[in-house]
Amino acid sequence: MTEPGIEGRNGVVIARRPPRETTPRYRTYEVHQRERVGESTEKIKPIQLLSDDYRRNPYPLLEILREHYPFYRDWLGNRYWLTPYNDVTSVFVDDANFETRPKTWFYGLEGFGRNLGDELSVLEFEAGHTDNLVEGLAASLADRLASRGEGDIATEFAAQLPLDLLCEMYAIAQEDRDLFCKRYWRAQRGTSWRPDLQNDGRQALDELLGYFEPLVEERRSHPGEDLVSVMLQHQPDEGPVTAGDVVVTLLERDHETLHGALANLWYLLLTHPEEFEKARSDGRLMKLGYLETLRHSTPAISALRFARHEVERFGKLIPEGALVVCSAGAANRDPRVFNDPDRFVVDRRDLCQREPRGQYRADGLATGIAFGLGKPSSHPAIPEDRPRSKYALTRDTAVTASWVLSETLQNMSLAPGAEPELAALTVGEMHTCWSLPVRC
Amino acid sequence: MSTIIEELQETSGEDFDPFPLMPVGEAVDMGTAEDGTPLFDPRIFDSPEFFRNPYPYYRILRDHYPVYHDKLHNTYWVTRYDDITECYFDDEGFNTIPKGSSSGVLGNTQLELSGVEHRRRRNLYGQHLVGRSLQLRIPSIERLATEMIDAWDKYAAEGADFVVDEGNTRTIELGKAFADEFPIGVVCEVLGFPKEAQQDFYYWYNSMMSGLGGSETHKQGVEARQHLEDYVSGIVEERRKNPTYLYDEAGNPVSKDIISKLCETRVDGDFLSTEEITSNIALIVGGGGETTRGAIMNLWTLLLRHPDQFEAVMADEENWDRAFHEMLRHSSSIGGQPRHNTFDVEMHGVHVPAGSLMQMVDFSANHDERIFKDPESYNIFREDLYSGKLLRSGYRKEGRCNHMAFGVGPHLCPGAWISHQETVVGSKILATRMPNVRIVEERMPKDIDGVSPAPMGIVSVRQLWLQFDRV
Repeated sequence: MTEPGIEGRNGVVIARRPPRETTPRYRTYEVHQRERVGESTEKIKPIQLLSDDYRRNPYPLLEILREHYPFYRDWLGNRYWLTPYNDVTSVFVDDANFETRPKTWFYGLEGFGRNLGDELSVLEFEAGHTDNLVEGLAASLADRLASRGEGDIATEFAAQLPLDLLCEMYAIAQEDRDLFCKRYWRAQRGTSWRPDLQNDGRQALDELLGYFEPLVEERRSHPGEDLVSVMLQHQPDEGPVTAGDVVVTLLERDHETLHGALANLWYLLLTHPEEFEKARSDGRLMKLGYLETLRHSTPAISALRFARHEVERFGKLIPEGALVVCSAGAANRDPRVFNDPDRFVVDRRDLCQREPRGQYRADGLATGIAFGLGKPSSHPAIPEDRPRSKYALTRDTAVTASWVLSETLQNMSLAPGAEPELAALTVGEMHTCWSLPVRC
Repeated sequence: MSTIIEELQETSGEDFDPFPLMPVGEAVDMGTAEDGTPLFDPRIFDSPEFFRNPYPYYRILRDHYPVYHDKLHNTYWVTRYDDITECYFDDEGFNTIPKGSSSGVLGNTQLELSGVEHRRRRNLYGQHLVGRSLQLRIPSIERLATEMIDAWDKYAAEGADFVVDEGNTRTIELGKAFADEFPIGVVCEVLGFPKEAQQDFYYWYNSMMSGLGGSETHKQGVEARQHLEDYVSGIVEERRKNPTYLYDEAGNPVSKDIISKLCETRVDGDFLSTEEITSNIALIVGGGGETTRGAIMNLWTLLLRHPDQFEAVMADEENWDRAFHEMLRHSSSIGGQPRHNTFDVEMHGVHVPAGSLMQMVDFSANHDERIFKDPESYNIFREDLYSGKLLRSGYRKEGRCNHMAFGVGPHLCPGAWISHQETVVGSKILATRMPNVRIVEERMPKDIDGVSPAPMGIVSVRQLWLQFDRV
């Protein structure tokens, strides 16, 4: 965007990039016309996909899409909804035709900083540090619940543990933690379509920048055992690491999966006592419970992909730049892939029991799709010196924490009269449980 | 526990909040940023409040977010006059290739073409709606209007509810009595549809129009379009052999009707296909009805609510043109057009990736206070509005600007001139036949306060009850 702008006849300056070499642009037009573009969709109105019903329980609407309009053009939201399992996964691994855009794009802050989250040293530090910390942190949260004899698993455990881990990893001073967590959450929510959240998030990013600037300088001269110091040791070609890079790395990390999966796992276990008995009997079954949770009630219910160029898929020609909403929620309940998909079964026989590498099936079985984790490794055989994938790390963390919780609170049950439910705070945010009161 | 988690837990039961109806001209408070900039909630675009009272919201967009990235609708809203004209003139950089905006209901039309392809097709039938061809059609437009008004006596005698006589006064509902059918009659006449096709015409027209946007009604739209296609293809085959003509008052053939003309049109040496002809006709059917109906209804509503200006128009016929253009500036029937940017662009500091949907809001351009002083008021004598002959190149000289109701640039509405003639010719005849006319305000829909008349908003007046002296 550094090229000089072109001044138009009204004095409006429009900066532009030259067109890319692509196929003739009239093709979209021709195909749209030939196919009469929109199918008639009497069974669903696009406004329903923004409604409160969708926010609370998206599954009935997603089923309509999957069974009747597998590639649905939502003219109101100017996007396509993709819902069958095989189609969603095919887009998800198709980097050539579909791109993700970073959270900074949704903020319109592309120049804010660089994301260092995929650097080897950062991944290694995260993995090692998380492994060391998770048991102790989970135990202290569980002990606190045990000593009170009651509590809320969703807020006092599932939501709290990821924040504790984060603060430890970034070595945030005890007195700053509350403010730091607040800013972190505000920054994460700011990618929303809601203007108050956008605005709030923007401010939070600025505040985080203000917080990290002195911290970065301090740790540059006195490196410690923390993620910021690790990042600072990294020497990118484009110049030394700045506070902006630290903030962007924090923003771009997977915000939903650990929190959402823990809350949803415990919601499902506590509302399915038989499955709970299975899961608490064996650490391996707890892992399967976690995997089944990501399938049955994934917290990141959909992911956005943009067409890099005009591409023909799913019986339609997708124009360049088109937004495709890949719905994990719908795909994970696809009856073509999973038997009786609405049932929560810890030891499900048709769900892949290990990390799929390079694709979404392994051992002949499909996995649940959980987008927050990023796509599976593009190297089916991960070299030994690589750290665990984020997928595996989040899984191990969640399973360990859940195991600690179930061991500590042997007699846990849902508080009498409690009617927990899953819901998003606003349409498009993580779909999880916000209140799960228990007795123990 | 972190306080942030408690706060989030509290908001987790929050419902999807509709927007309250506001007094016209005032916006709902959608929050304010720290620096005082008002925030803009994109849910407003789907709310009933926005449909009746859109202008204060557009003002917020113009003042604070001239290119507004609406993440809910995955769209960029462009609201300033200057920016919109810029984009309209640049049909390479801001193309009209659809992402399904008309959802196949209208079909293969030049609405969704750009560049050479567009120019070539547009002129095929556009030429029949302008200049001498248009002048030749005016007598038939006049005749049609007179016939419709003459029929009022008959309706009153039959006890129709939209033409009622009481003593020396007659009360009519202008829509049913005139504006609903008049434009359709003109379109039939211009196209050369046989009289008996008119009944079907309402079906095609209504179904296709309502099928354009919505999902439930889309199927009817496509079915109606198929029905129209079947019908027209029959006519086209017939006219290819036996062309039909328009006649002047003396009964002499003056020119071929549009279908007959299109039948003998060649592009690159080849005759137009039946499908191409049908699509163009579907577009005329769609474009020629509702917009002109809305124009007639809005024009009479506005004029009668501004009696001094109505008087000025009655005193000098030349003022009908001013009244017409000012009405289109003040409350037109077409809100705007979608465009897709061919390249990555940056406007007003907003980066728009190539291929994004950009909504050019003509409504907002017409109310841009950077161009039109005191834009919310209806004033046929305003100094800053150009009300001469419409030009594709636009008009912007000596502080006068054209309104954007017909757009500007290569895609300027090809029906602009005929719509102008229909509305003005029809209204002139109406004016002579409705002495001492006034609005029956007690039968008009009311605003939220229950007293003042309901605002026009972004939909044109549905019903207009008029009372006048019987001649």
